Order: sequence, then structure tokens, then C-alpha cells
Amino acid sequence: MDRSRLFGAFLFSLCLAGAQALSPAHHLSLADVDRLQNLLSQPFTDLESAYYSVVGLSKLGANIPDHDGVCQFIKSQLDPTSVDSVFFAAEASQAISGCEIPVSNETRDILLAAVSEDSTMTQINRAVSALASLGLPLASQEAVGALTARINKEDNVMAITSALQTAARLSQEAELGGILEEIEDLTARLDDLGGIYLQFEEGLEATAMFVTAAYSLSDHVDMEPPLKEDQVIQLVNSIFSKKSWDSLSEAFSVASAAAALCTNRFHVPVVVSAQGPATVSHSQPTLQLLVTDVMSQPLDYSKVLVESAYSVASKSIIFTQAPFTLNDGVFELNFMSTQPASGYYQFTIAVTGDSRLVANHVELKVKVSTEVAVTTMDLSVVDKDQSIGTKTSRVDYPSKSKTIFTADGHQNFAMTFQLVDVNTGVELTPHQTFVRLHNQKTGQEVVFVAEPDAKSLYKFELDTAERKSEFASISGTYSLCLIVGDATLENPILWNVADVVLKFMDEEAPATIQPKTLYVPKPEIQHLFREPEKKPATVVSNAFTALILSPLLLLLILWLKLGANVSNFSCSPSTVLFHVGHAAMLGLMYVYWTHLNMFQTLKYLAIIGGVTFLAGNRMLAQKAVKRIEKK
Amino acid sequence: MAPLTADVHHRSGSSSLSKKRSEMASQRRFRLLDNNVIFFLSLSAMLHCAVADGRTLVLLDNLNIKDTHSIFFRSLADRGFDLTFKTADDPSLSLIKYGQFLYEHLVIFSPSVEDFGGNINVETITSFIDGGGNVLVAASSDIGDALRELGSECGVEVDEEKTAVIDHHNFDVSDPGEHTLIVADPANLLKAPTIVGNPTDKPVLFKGVGMVADPENPLVLDILTGSSTAYTYFPDRPISQYPHAVGKNTLLIAGLQARNNARVVFSGSLDFFSDAFFNSAVQKATPGSQRFEQTGNMELAEALSRWVFKEAGVLRVGAVTHHPVGELSPPAAYTITDLVVYSIVIEQLTEGRWVPFDGEDIQLEFVRIDPFVRTYLKKNGGEYSVQFTLPDVYGVFQFKVDYNRLGYTHLYSSTQVSVRPLQHTQYERFIPSAYPYYASCFSMMAGLFVFSIVFLHMKDKEKSD
Repeated sequence: MDRSRLFGAFLFSLCLAGAQALSPAHHLSLADVDRLQNLLSQPFTDLESAYYSVVGLSKLGANIPDHDGVCQFIKSQLDPTSVDSVFFAAEASQAISGCEIPVSNETRDILLAAVSEDSTMTQINRAVSALASLGLPLASQEAVGALTARINKEDNVMAITSALQTAARLSQEAELGGILEEIEDLTARLDDLGGIYLQFEEGLEATAMFVTAAYSLSDHVDMEPPLKEDQVIQLVNSIFSKKSWDSLSEAFSVASAAAALCTNRFHVPVVVSAQGPATVSHSQPTLQLLVTDVMSQPLDYSKVLVESAYSVASKSIIFTQAPFTLNDGVFELNFMSTQPASGYYQFTIAVTGDSRLVANHVELKVKVSTEVAVTTMDLSVVDKDQSIGTKTSRVDYPSKSKTIFTADGHQNFAMTFQLVDVNTGVELTPHQTFVRLHNQKTGQEVVFVAEPDAKSLYKFELDTAERKSEFASISGTYSLCLIVGDATLENPILWNVADVVLKFMDEEAPATIQPKTLYVPKPEIQHLFREPEKKPATVVSNAFTALILSPLLLLLILWLKLGANVSNFSCSPSTVLFHVGHAAMLGLMYVYWTHLNMFQTLKYLAIIGGVTFLAGNRMLAQKAVKRIEKK
Repeated sequence: MAPLTADVHHRSGSSSLSKKRSEMASQRRFRLLDNNVIFFLSLSAMLHCAVADGRTLVLLDNLNIKDTHSIFFRSLADRGFDLTFKTADDPSLSLIKYGQFLYEHLVIFSPSVEDFGGNINVETITSFIDGGGNVLVAASSDIGDALRELGSECGVEVDEEKTAVIDHHNFDVSDPGEHTLIVADPANLLKAPTIVGNPTDKPVLFKGVGMVADPENPLVLDILTGSSTAYTYFPDRPISQYPHAVGKNTLLIAGLQARNNARVVFSGSLDFFSDAFFNSAVQKATPGSQRFEQTGNMELAEALSRWVFKEAGVLRVGAVTHHPVGELSPPAAYTITDLVVYSIVIEQLTEGRWVPFDGEDIQLEFVRIDPFVRTYLKKNGGEYSVQFTLPDVYGVFQFKVDYNRLGYTHLYSSTQVSVRPLQHTQYERFIPSAYPYYASCFSMMAGLFVFSIVFLHMKDKEKSD
């Protein structure tokens, strides 16, 4: 009986979860609102930027500094003949107190003339808005006619959005039904992106202005806009997903949309978020929720109720229908009073108190965290053949073992420990229980996963022979670290347990190709020049030189003795020329050896040889003549 | 219009462009010339310094990412990239048309895509990379098979769908509960300023999927790794098998510079580039840790995009000269043991301009199959030069500058020269040990000369007596 009810409640909650899965993923956090304000508070340069700044800030509910200065600026920049200028000035002056724009009849006529189907939609919108802001009378029904005519001509999102905006400024008595229908038509034009975002392809500004216009018109005629809850949330997501705004007009449109979504009479999207992380623990037992609108303003009037809460791991329901209490703007629930085990819990939360609230059924994942302690940490080195009894030594967290363990190829290094919950004493099996071995010299780290046995006792055994490839067979001192962590643990552990010396049997040379050396300079190379061959002692060669020169000397000496002479030498030109030529030929041989190549030598030899030949011939002829004369 | 003209101008202004693209550009140019020649010319003169020319295709999961990552895209657009946004399943997608690449860069910010639309698939993306295109990929925990496959093609193994990088010791205070919003220490960044920018102490926020580098692929760069306590696994399941990546092996951001200098960056996190992460404050959840008002994400993302889209770390070779010392022009062939001067101009692309590169470790090799000489080049004004003696080996050699450094494009220049042995007149003429030979020659010559005189002009005394 009891169980079936529980099951029913569970089913109900699941159905609810299915139906209400969509909740706003983006909104303006307080920091975002600040940045938006900062962007809008920039000093303005012209009337248009003044309009965006002043009206944008007033939409955000922010203070506009220096009302008088702004008023002066508006008045000085006002061009009474331009519809745009009058519109900007009128709207901006509305937002600040005590600033009246003087309007001449001429200006009024220009504005009234602009409300016709010959003007563009923007012109009509601005003229009507300016007239409304300045409190001047206007024939609403005529304006409706002009708008309807323009809608047929300008069929784009921006123009129709302007028409909606304009209609919101007209009298409620006018026939606004036709324009109201345009909201539905525009809604059909929105693009659905992945079921999360809904936006116009014209961009953020178009989407934001549409939301603003749709709600202001709906408020004006007091009819709920034809937007489904999911669509509202999708629009919220796409308008507030952009956190950095490109232009003043974009920032203005976001501020307007935010204001419209917070203050309209039909849909107020609720943003439920945990204050800080959605975590409870023994030290922080209350779950604190912030329930705000899209501008992060708390919705104090609302009531918050846990419809159901179940554990993600066991799927068992913890409690149902528990209310939160409001405490200084924060909704609180003491979740730890039910003594939940650590882990995740899925909450279904309902926010009530106002029929306008949208996205008021929220799924929330809540974490119950705890603290862990390492107990019974035993380290030992076990011989594989078990001949020597093992000696275990116990280490206490967080000290480091004083003994240094040494394991070689015949031994296993073993480590056992238990992890318990400090608060309840229950054994825990955290997500991360890693054993890290870090080589202090090379910086290499090897990580193993420690696994618990049935009794949640963690055992880690390192077979050095088997695991040598993971260590690249590098022996040395490794520091052994235990890493324990889990999302539900408040105190992750990183404990340097001991130093271990690992010795691997056959140390291989480290891999030759190390990929990271691709980008370093290569070693310098100096070319080794061939050493000149060792030469024999010069004394020997000198002695032999002398020996070789001696025959010439001997010749001269013997000639002197024999009485050799050159008395027949006659100084005729041919004789001199022949001997000079002869000497020159021999000299050329020397120059050939030292300087010339063969072709140069042959050229010179031809010249010298020719002369010498002729001179020799002549000389020999003369000698022959002489010899014949003597005979 | 403006990006078009910038595009075309660049072609006319620079000569180092591929032919196939310039053809296309010239088609455009004709179209533009028809419109208004003077306007175009004056614009091109105005845009003289705008070199960053990048037609970039951005693939998104949905167009909203354009808004949530607007700062990053705006910084790209401000730097002159011509961004085209498409959803990844758009049926009109194409990278290649008529055999030519339509884009130079590709940004894939669509982690969950299973099949790309149009005629893009993993093969076309890899051939895009092979053709020199640069790709920036951001993944997340809901990663689809297409990106995982692309990762393995590039030597980056991405973990499975629904896994996340978890670090129970280094997560941000604003972590929603699973310890997957990781504070990455800047000390874990690659030490390469051209890739990751100037060193800062601002940590980086990361939330996404982990990767490991293929150990067989030496070109993969570990741009950002996890800390020793990080691992990647399903956050909601107990660990039943060894995690895909553990400790410092966990890559958060990986890079690759292919051999053709195409660059690829894989980020495990799409949120890494988001406006929210750019503007967020960051503080580790461990008590007493320092709070930083802004993350380092924006600087890192910008530096990464500069690197991957070839705005940083791009080198080129300018004039190469070589000649013997004391001469001005190179000879037809060098002789062994000549004293030679080699100089090379190396330029770096900085802010769209080519400026002389400032490097300390540029090496010159003198190579005949194997290098005979490898020496450092010294900076000398705008060029690098060195003086060295050629080896005493003859053959066909190359002066080779092969500069491959982390974060820079591969710079390669080789100049072929021949080196011949000594001419016969260049040998040593008088070797002391050979003096007997010279002496014999010269004594013979002297003897011949003297003998010829004596023989021709001796007066026979007996006859005269």
C-alpha cells in the first residue's frame, strides 16, 4: 500500500520532469545587469544614444545621473522639424523627472502628418510614440488604418514589431484586434534552435524588441499573448544568452526585453538557482535557493516547495512536499535533517504564489557532500616466491613514510588502505582513487587505478617485472602519491605516502626518437679536415739534394781540369738570341711548373721556340761557314 | 563589399599567393572593375596594410553560438577575417568547389555534429588540411563521431561522448557540482609564446572533454594539459576501466602543425571560447586560493586564433647570397677549403607586415647527402650570415637552412653549389721532401744549358795547336 503510493508519487514526479524539462538556461545575473548598466551609462554623443541610454537605464530600474544636464543636452540637440529627433527627445525626457520639451504647433503638425500610410513604419511608430509621450491628442483609429496599410507593404519582422509597439501607444478604444493577431503570425516566424532557443534570423535585437512589443501591447489591451510557456523560456534563453553586447541599441533592446519579462501581466519567467553550488554537507546543512526573475531580482512573494526528491543512485524517494522557508531573500531547506547518504539527489521544485510565473517547476540536482579519511594504510614489499615473510609498515595521513621501499624484479610492492566517511564512519568508494608514481629525476609519472574489493578495502599491487613497459624500464626513486577525489567529497586527498625505489631487470636504452626534440637546434658539426701526411725529415732530402747536385758540380770541375772553354763564342745576334731563347725555354718550363697551364705554356713555347729555332739555325749556319773557311 | 576588395587587393599586393586562388580573385576583380575602377583603386590604396585576408567558414551547432561566443568572433572579424556562419548540418555546405578551396580557414564550433551537411565530411576536411587550410575545432562533452574521427586523423584521440575532464583538486568555486569546471594552471601551458601568447599568471577556465596525443605522431603539440590530479571519465559512473587520459597526459587543448604548415587546434571545450568564460572571475575551490577577476581565456583564445590562422609564427625566406670572402659574386664552382660567406634574410609576419625575424638559433648546414658543417648564423643587420671554410671534400653540396621551431612555420631554404678539387696549379709546388727531384730537374736543365754553350763554342786546343 505504502509502496504503491510511493511508486505513484515517483511516476508522477517523472512525468512532471518530462513535462517541465525546459527551464531558463540563461538570464541576466547581477554581474550581467551591472555590465549592461555600464554599457548604457556611457556618455552620449547625440540624441539617439541619449535616448538609448536614458530609456535603457530606466528600464533596468537604474538611477540616471544628472537629470538637469541630460535635460539640457536633449533640449540643445532637439531639432523640432525632425520626427526622429522629437521622438528621441520626447521618450528620453519622459524617463527623467522635471524635463519638459517645448512643442510648437508646427512640430505637432509634422508629427500628425507623419501618421499616414505614406510614411514608413518606423516614422509612424516614432510619430505616434512622440505624440503619446508629449501628451498630444491623436486620432487612434486613423493610426490603426495607417499601420494596417503599412503592414501589408512592409512585411518584415522589424516593421511588424514597430507596428505592435505603435499599437501599444494608441487608445484602447481603437480596433487593435488585427494588429494583435500579428503577434501570433510573428511567433510562427521564430526559428527553433535545438529546442532551447527561439529567435528571429534577423538577430538578437529583432527578437528582444518583439518580446518587448508583444508584452507591452498585450498589457495594453489586457489579453494574454499567444505564447506557450516553452516558447517564453526559449525566447528568454536566446535573448539572454549573449553576454557581450555589440551596440547601444542592442543593449537597449535587451534591457527593454528584460523589463518586459519582469513586469508584464501575463508571463514572468522564474529563475531558480542555488546560492553558491547546490551542495549540502554536515557543515552546511541547509540548501539555499535564490528565486528570481530574469534580472536577478528576488521574487519574495513566491512560495517554494519541493514536490519530490529522490536519490540519483538508488532512485529511492527521500521526501515529498517539503516547503522552503524564506530567510532574508533566500529560500532555505534543512536537507541534512533527513540524514541522506552522500551523492546526488534530484529535486523537483515548484514555485507558486503568482499565476504569472512561468517555468515554475524546476528540476535541480543537489549534491550531498561529506569528508573522507584514509585509514589503515599499509605498505609492504612482497617477495614473489613468498620465501621471506612480508614486513608491513603503517603510515598515517598526512605524514610521509620514513622508510624507503625498494622493489626489484622479484618483488611486488603492495599497498592496502580503506576510505571512510568522517561523519558517519561508512566505507566510501570515491570516483577517483589513483596511485601516482612520479619519477623525481625525469618528471615522468605513471598513474594506476586502485580498486576496492567486496569489503571496500583498496588493494594496490605493483609487479615491477610486469609493469616495466609503463615505466619505460627506468629505474630510480619514485614518489608514491595517493589521489582520492570525488564530486561529493569536500576534502580531496593528495598524499605523498612514501618514496619507492624501483629496479628493473634489463634496463633498455631510452627510445632514440623523442618527438619533442623535433623543434630544438641540432648539435653543431665542425668539419674535420684531413690531416696532412707526415713528411720525412728534411735532412734526408737536403742530403740527397746535395748528392743530386754534385754531378753538375763534378762536371764543371772536370771541365775546368780538362780545359773546357767558350773561346769560340762570337757575339753575333743569332748566337745571343739562340742562347737567350734556350734559357727562356728552360725558364718557361719552370714557370709552367709553378704558374701556367699547358695551353698557356704551349702558346709561349711556340713563340720562344720559333725564335730560338731560327736563331739556332742561323748560328749553326754561321758556324758551318766558319768551319769551312778554316779548312 | 569591403572584405571583397580587401581580398582582391591582397592578391595584387603580394606575390606569394597560390595560383588557384588568384584565378578566382581575378574573376572577382573583373566584376569589380566593371563597377567602379577608381573607387576600387583608392580603396586598395587605403587598405594597403590590411593583409589579414581570410575567408573563414564557421560551423556552428546552432546560430545562437554566434551570440554566446560573440567576443571571440568579433575579435576575429576586427582582425580582418571574413567570417561566414553556417550550421554544421546546413545542406549547402561546401569547402571545395571546382577543385578549389572556397575558404582558407575553418572554425568548427559544433561539437555534437554526427554528419556534416552538404559535401563536407571528415575526408574533405582532412584534404582541406592537406591543401594548407587551417582548422580550429572546439569540442565539448557531447562530442559526435565526426569530430572524434577528425581528431584521430590529426593524431588527437578524443574521449567518448558524455565524458568530461574531472579534477577534484583544481575546480572553480562556481563549479555546478561535478568538478568539471576546471581551473587550468598557466604553468601547464606549452612554453611557446607564438602559440599561447605572452606568459601570464591568469588561470584558464575549461569545461569539456579530454584528449590524448597519439604517441606515434610527433607533430602534435600539448598546448594545455591537465594537472597531475586530472582525469577524464564519465562524471556520473564509477570508474570501471582505466580512464582514457590521466594526469598530465590529459590534453585540454592540442595543436598540430602539419608538414605543409597547415595548422589545427583542438580544444576540448567549446565554453572555453564563450563570452561567459572570457568575462568570468576565477578562483580554485580549495580554501585560501587566489581569486582572479578575469580568466586568461580571452588572451589565450586570441593568441591561439592568431597562431592557428597564421597571423603569428609565420616565417619566410628572403634573399640568399653566398660568395668567397673578398669577392662579391659566387663563382661557377667553389674550390675545396675556400673561405665562404653565406647570408640569408629571414622575415616574420607581424601585424600584417613582414619584418626581419629575430632568432638566436638559426643553423646553416652544408650538406652532401649528410651535413659536413652545421653552424649557427649570426644576426648582422637585417640578415643572418656566417663565414666558414668549405670542407676538403669535393662534390655537389647544398647550403641548407632548415629552421623548425615550436610555434613557427617550417622554414626551409637550400641552394645548390658544386665544390671541385684543387686545380693542378693550386697544389703545393715545392715540397721539402721532394727537393731531390726538383734539384735533379733543375741541375739537368742547368747542365743542358751550360753543356750546349760549351759544346757549341769550345775551341779545340789540339786542333789550334
